[in-house]
Amino acid sequence: MWPVVKSVLAALLGVQNDRQRQHDFSTGKPAVFIIVAVLVTLIFVLLLAGIAIFAAG
Amino acid sequence: MRLPWRWLLSVTSAATLSQAHASSWNMPVGVTDISRDIFGLHMTIFWVCVVIGVIVFGVMFYSLFRYRHSKGAKAAQFHEHTSVEVLWTAIPILILVGMAVPATATLKNMYDTSEADLDIMITGQQWRWRYEYLGEDVAFTSNLSTSREQIRGEAERGEHYLLDVDEPLVLPINRKVRFLMTSDDVIHSWWVPELAVKQDTIPGFINENWVQINEPGIYRGQCAELCGVNHGFMPIVVHAMEEADYEIWLAERKEAAEQEAMGVDREWALEELMARGETVYQSICSSCHQSEGQGAMPAFPALAGNEQLIDDLDWHLDRIINGVSGAAMPAFRSTLNPVEIASVVTYTRNAWGNDTGDVVQPAAVAELITQ
Amino acid sequence: MAPKLPPQHSLQHSSTAVAGGPSQEHHAHVAHPKGVMRWLLTTNHKEIGSLYLIFSLTMFFVGGIFALVVRAELFQPGLQLVEPEFFNQMTTMHGLIMVFAAVMPAFTGLANWMIPLQIGAPDMALPRLNNFSFWLLPIAFTLLLSTLLMPGGGPNFGWTFYAPLSTTYAPASTTFFILALHIAGISSILGAINIIATILNMRAPGMRMMDMPLFVWTWLITAFLLIAVMPVLAGVITMMLMDINFGTSFFDAAGGGDPVLFQHLFWFFGHPEVYIMILPAFGIVSAIIPTFARKPLFGYASMVYATAAIALLSFLVWAHHMFIVGLPLTAELFFMYSTMLIAVPTGVKVFNWVTTLFRGSISFEPPMLFALAFVVLFTIGGFSGLMLAIAPADFQYHDTYFVVAHFHYVLVPGAIFAIMAGVYYWLPKWTGHYPNERLAQCHFWCSIIGVNLTFFPMHFAGLAGMPRRIPDYALQFADFNLLSSIGAFFFGASQLLFVLVVVLCVRGGQKAPAKAWEGAVDLEWSVPSPAPLHTFETPPVFHRAQSHD
Repeated sequence: MWPVVKSVLAALLGVQNDRQRQHDFSTGKPAVFIIVAVLVTLIFVLLLAGIAIFAAG
Repeated sequence: MRLPWRWLLSVTSAATLSQAHASSWNMPVGVTDISRDIFGLHMTIFWVCVVIGVIVFGVMFYSLFRYRHSKGAKAAQFHEHTSVEVLWTAIPILILVGMAVPATATLKNMYDTSEADLDIMITGQQWRWRYEYLGEDVAFTSNLSTSREQIRGEAERGEHYLLDVDEPLVLPINRKVRFLMTSDDVIHSWWVPELAVKQDTIPGFINENWVQINEPGIYRGQCAELCGVNHGFMPIVVHAMEEADYEIWLAERKEAAEQEAMGVDREWALEELMARGETVYQSICSSCHQSEGQGAMPAFPALAGNEQLIDDLDWHLDRIINGVSGAAMPAFRSTLNPVEIASVVTYTRNAWGNDTGDVVQPAAVAELITQ
Repeated sequence: MAPKLPPQHSLQHSSTAVAGGPSQEHHAHVAHPKGVMRWLLTTNHKEIGSLYLIFSLTMFFVGGIFALVVRAELFQPGLQLVEPEFFNQMTTMHGLIMVFAAVMPAFTGLANWMIPLQIGAPDMALPRLNNFSFWLLPIAFTLLLSTLLMPGGGPNFGWTFYAPLSTTYAPASTTFFILALHIAGISSILGAINIIATILNMRAPGMRMMDMPLFVWTWLITAFLLIAVMPVLAGVITMMLMDINFGTSFFDAAGGGDPVLFQHLFWFFGHPEVYIMILPAFGIVSAIIPTFARKPLFGYASMVYATAAIALLSFLVWAHHMFIVGLPLTAELFFMYSTMLIAVPTGVKVFNWVTTLFRGSISFEPPMLFALAFVVLFTIGGFSGLMLAIAPADFQYHDTYFVVAHFHYVLVPGAIFAIMAGVYYWLPKWTGHYPNERLAQCHFWCSIIGVNLTFFPMHFAGLAGMPRRIPDYALQFADFNLLSSIGAFFFGASQLLFVLVVVLCVRGGQKAPAKAWEGAVDLEWSVPSPAPLHTFETPPVFHRAQSHD
């Protein structure tokens, strides 16, 4: 699971190396990536919302 | 062309905050603390972009020049470098965090509408602004005062072409003024650049914003949200006065309002109503129904020679007091006073060959409105 | 963008040169319809691609003429040429036509032509659907344009058609506008389904997802975006339809509705739509820059991942179009932060292109010129986007010409230059001839001057306080508008050069070999130039060496 999460986070930053990509595409299932990506996006939203709520005081 | 020099000059001079007022090439610094903060944010992010741009485009044009195929450049074959990539991701994130912090502080300040000294209701209407000094019984509408001839190029255009109104919004300086903003019809947006206030006025919503002006002066702006055919012709003028002058002005307006209210009870002559009615018509009605009552189909019916209007006084009054639901005609029961309604009805029933001879008295209108 | 019509008798052009594929028998025994019927009934991806591109080019000029009407009126202060009512119809139609009828169909046309060629497929997965989704477009936009002739005029509420201006206060023709947009939306969705089906199912044996060129990747992601957001647009215009015709009050405050809801729905569609118009452009540029720098794309992996991330993030930033509608403070902060963050993966792409150039071996053929201009000018559009993301500053920028300058920098030297770069890049494949180099260069330099002269002064006009969508303006904006108008007419006229180049290229010119550009690597360069009507009828053997590794 961790490599998938790492790849998704790498996507968010826009940085990924080729070795990891080869690995992702030859071993991973697309569905897993999509689910993890959506989950990470949700967490990202919650995190950002949390920061916004905190900043708004 | 000498334009770039003017630009450079204005950017540098504005950046040092030495000028309180707008240069015509850049955002105005404005006359409130918030407008200065916003200007600061604007210049900061601008210079950040300039620096990033110089670096990125510098590398790019260096590469384009240095590695020309025609000069026999041999291509390297590298195609990734993770640490460089991480670095150029991390730096923008840090810059953005650095921008987000002051931006958040400014935004919080802008949203703090508490403890205002004065409340003003701003209502957008196609295509004018209505200002109501809450708790003071002072209210008026503010219309474009640039003449049709200037717009059509038949007269010389004045200095404040399209940015002049018949009645400016008068505000005191050094006091926190809260704006409550709404609209009677479509979405408008009330914007005065030097006050750094831009807020949509939305039917069914009341938006809040506030301003505390530091310097007396006349500040001009425009509707910023497309609101129909005369969107370009509903300017805003704010006249910021010393507090004492403002109090004098307010007292005068209150007295005038009382005079007007007393006028409701007396009998008005046809000529009086016609004269008053023409003023009201030209400032309120003519933007849609046109200056000679000829209308602009399909949205805005003609009033001159309109048979239903001529035949049916009650129908005519109802249209003006209650408006037409689902069409552009607003209800004027709360925005015009009985004298204004009576005079404009009398005027439209007798002008442009509509010669009905009807005289509508303010007292009768007042009764209709309270019904 | 009229590429050479592929030959009718495919028998003469059996695709012998297909990479690794043996020569093959043809199914040309079926009698093909001639004349108009050929085009009405065609299911060939190249013919449909050409139709899309010709349609898009036509609409580019229609929308351009509308823009020139606007610029002509704004040449000087005062009302000279058109009435404000017609002016509003022109700004609205310009936006609608350029977005839905010029840029989007151009990318779909390029996808139709190039995706099967780039992945080694004989055609699109759903050829008849392909035909249907194209022919919906002329119907949709004939209907849309016809509203200009209806009583009360056409749409006059801006391409964002905010309610209630577009419902209670709209002209009678609005119902037709809604219908036209519905038809165009269906066309987009069907096209997107077709593209996804093609990419997922019809890649040449041996070509894995990660071997796909970036144009294919970006289109795959764009297609998912289209399927996700076009129904939202359909929903919001249906609600308008109900408000106008069936007495509902979705957006009518007087009936308990909510005008701001309209804006949330519209921009939930509208922001991903921005990426729909720019992601395929990223793909094209990512094909062209490595070709003419003779060096592999720097950070191919990063590019793929960042594109996917941008697609997801694009759903989280819509309310930055609504910073002044009176959102709660928390929402303002959230959307300010998310908007700033989406700039990061986008910026990373620019860094990648620049690094691809670094230590390359660069030549400056017309496609490369347009791609380089894309990188510079799109980045300038990105900078103003970053400025707009700062919510407090947006209170000053919003709805001014600064915003107009921003999105035109993203869309004209962004999306449209990328499309032109793509056309110049693939014209040799389509027609078998190179475009005339001198004319193309002339077109490029005229476009560069025109685009900057038109749109750069708009930054200043906006900062100085000029609201957008006004038919007349105060005197202090006169200089900027004068320059913009001159630039617009120059830019408009120089696009005639583009038509000239394309027409000349279809009719003749220097012959192009299968691999028309020295540094080109993708699969489309393995079929002959011009590409015969049917290619890859036997799947090519995909060699990993062609991939981006």
